Amino acid sequence: MSGWHIPDDLRERYLAGTLDAALAMSVDAHLGRCAKCRAAVPYEPDWLEASWERLEAELIKPRPAPFERLLRHGGVPGHLARLLTATPTMSRAWVVAVVASVAFGVVAARQDADLLPAFLIGAPVLPLTGIALAYGPRVDPAHELMAATPLSGPRLLLTRATAVLAVATVLAAIASPLLPAPPGLSAAWLLPSLAAASGCLALSNRLPVPIAAFAVGGVWLAIVGTGGLVSGSWLAVFGPVAQLGYGLAALLLSFRVYRVSIA
Amino acid sequence: MIQIRNLSKVYGHRRALDGLDLTLGTGVTGLLGPNGAGKTTLLRCLATTLAPSGGSIEAYGLNPADPVQRTALRRRLGYLPQDPGFYPHFTVFDLVDYVAILKEMTVRERRHAEVRRVLAEVDLTDQARLKVRKLSGGMRQRLALAQALLGEPDLLILDEPTVGLDPEQRMLFRALVSRLGESHTVVLSTHQTEDVAALCERVVVMRDGRAVFDGTPGELAGVAAGRVWLSDQAPAASQVFWRTADGRYRTLGDRPPSADATAPGVEDGYLMLLRRHEEAA
Repeated sequence: MSGWHIPDDLRERYLAGTLDAALAMSVDAHLGRCAKCRAAVPYEPDWLEASWERLEAELIKPRPAPFERLLRHGGVPGHLARLLTATPTMSRAWVVAVVASVAFGVVAARQDADLLPAFLIGAPVLPLTGIALAYGPRVDPAHELMAATPLSGPRLLLTRATAVLAVATVLAAIASPLLPAPPGLSAAWLLPSLAAASGCLALSNRLPVPIAAFAVGGVWLAIVGTGGLVSGSWLAVFGPVAQLGYGLAALLLSFRVYRVSIA
Repeated sequence: MIQIRNLSKVYGHRRALDGLDLTLGTGVTGLLGPNGAGKTTLLRCLATTLAPSGGSIEAYGLNPADPVQRTALRRRLGYLPQDPGFYPHFTVFDLVDYVAILKEMTVRERRHAEVRRVLAEVDLTDQARLKVRKLSGGMRQRLALAQALLGEPDLLILDEPTVGLDPEQRMLFRALVSRLGESHTVVLSTHQTEDVAALCERVVVMRDGRAVFDGTPGELAGVAAGRVWLSDQAPAASQVFWRTADGRYRTLGDRPPSADATAPGVEDGYLMLLRRHEEAA
């Protein structure tokens, strides 16, 4: 054992609770093996308990991931940031897959302008896939654990779907200016995306989420196919009147989802 | 108070629950039964993670069939599933904190204090910063228990909570659950009759989706009264018996030659009960 003992000024700061956590733990460790220093520290159970609580609060707390910290800095409440970043389809693998899909669509369209509709048609399917994989017993390993909590069900699905939709939308938006088309047409996927995502969420109240996503994806492809067959152009379903319809559908379905989620 | 009336759950052609009636109040109730008896299905229905095919559950005046009342009931329950999945990349603290958020604990300081409390309850404070994937089976089970304790729920539903716990942890678990049972409703399923004998003031034995016994552990042991024997010679092969640590043979059923009667335990009563039902079926 060394002959070192806690100096008076250090002990006073320790007793006042003004030491930083690491130094306070060093003092604690020394007190644990030095009876002389322990005798110099007034022992008061309440004080000791409060000290430990302060130390625990300092040392035992979560370390947010970089994306979660980014959201917090952006003004998103801490608990919501944690919910958003813990979405299964917010994993690195999923985001990489979305980036790859969007990049492939852009490259293909730039190689051959006839492939532009493929990007526009595929963009609304991306968030649907993400939503399908964001919630449910088959895709979430902790689903059974979460399912008995008050936030599970429509509220949690809505939160996770928002995260998925935001990522897919931002990535598609970044890609749009790179497309060989006028700005209006390049962004023509946005309203169908929103309508499809809100349709999927509305339907998930009655069907398992993957089936709801599959059904809405099917409806979207049916709309595209019908439009293409009737008018002879795959771009027909991206015209102004159709966009108005998608916007209206997105609004109505979002309102419906909101009502269900707060019920 | 929780009232379960004529509860049924059908999977295809199999009836996992078959018109079950049960009333649960404050205290620890243990569910015993062979695999497939319907224990987990019942607990999942109680935990609102599984919708029954028929019948009703009413807990604290709330009907989980109604979405709004279901959410209200979820605010009052803690659930440890039989197979709790985890996010392996989360730390222990992160995971419990995440469940606390799902339990609508939005004020960070208060939530973190609650997370630390439940981790201390299950003796996981020192592992708080470990990744879940690095935990042993017993630690994972304690982690699952910790999240169920968040918010001191009125109704605690524990599906095989002692699986993977070492003897010391089991003692800690028993102390914790018996303390909770003084003022809360605790329902647990187990295959460990010792846990039932040590913990539960009431035991329900399930078989084929029905409750075939409802009473105290003492009453369950009493089912085998006068039917448990100790002998030095091995009984006939047709009888149910096993060799004990002291080298004698413990027989359940008819008296073997020159055997001594012995006091039955909960396990004897449980085995005798199941045997009678199998013979009757």
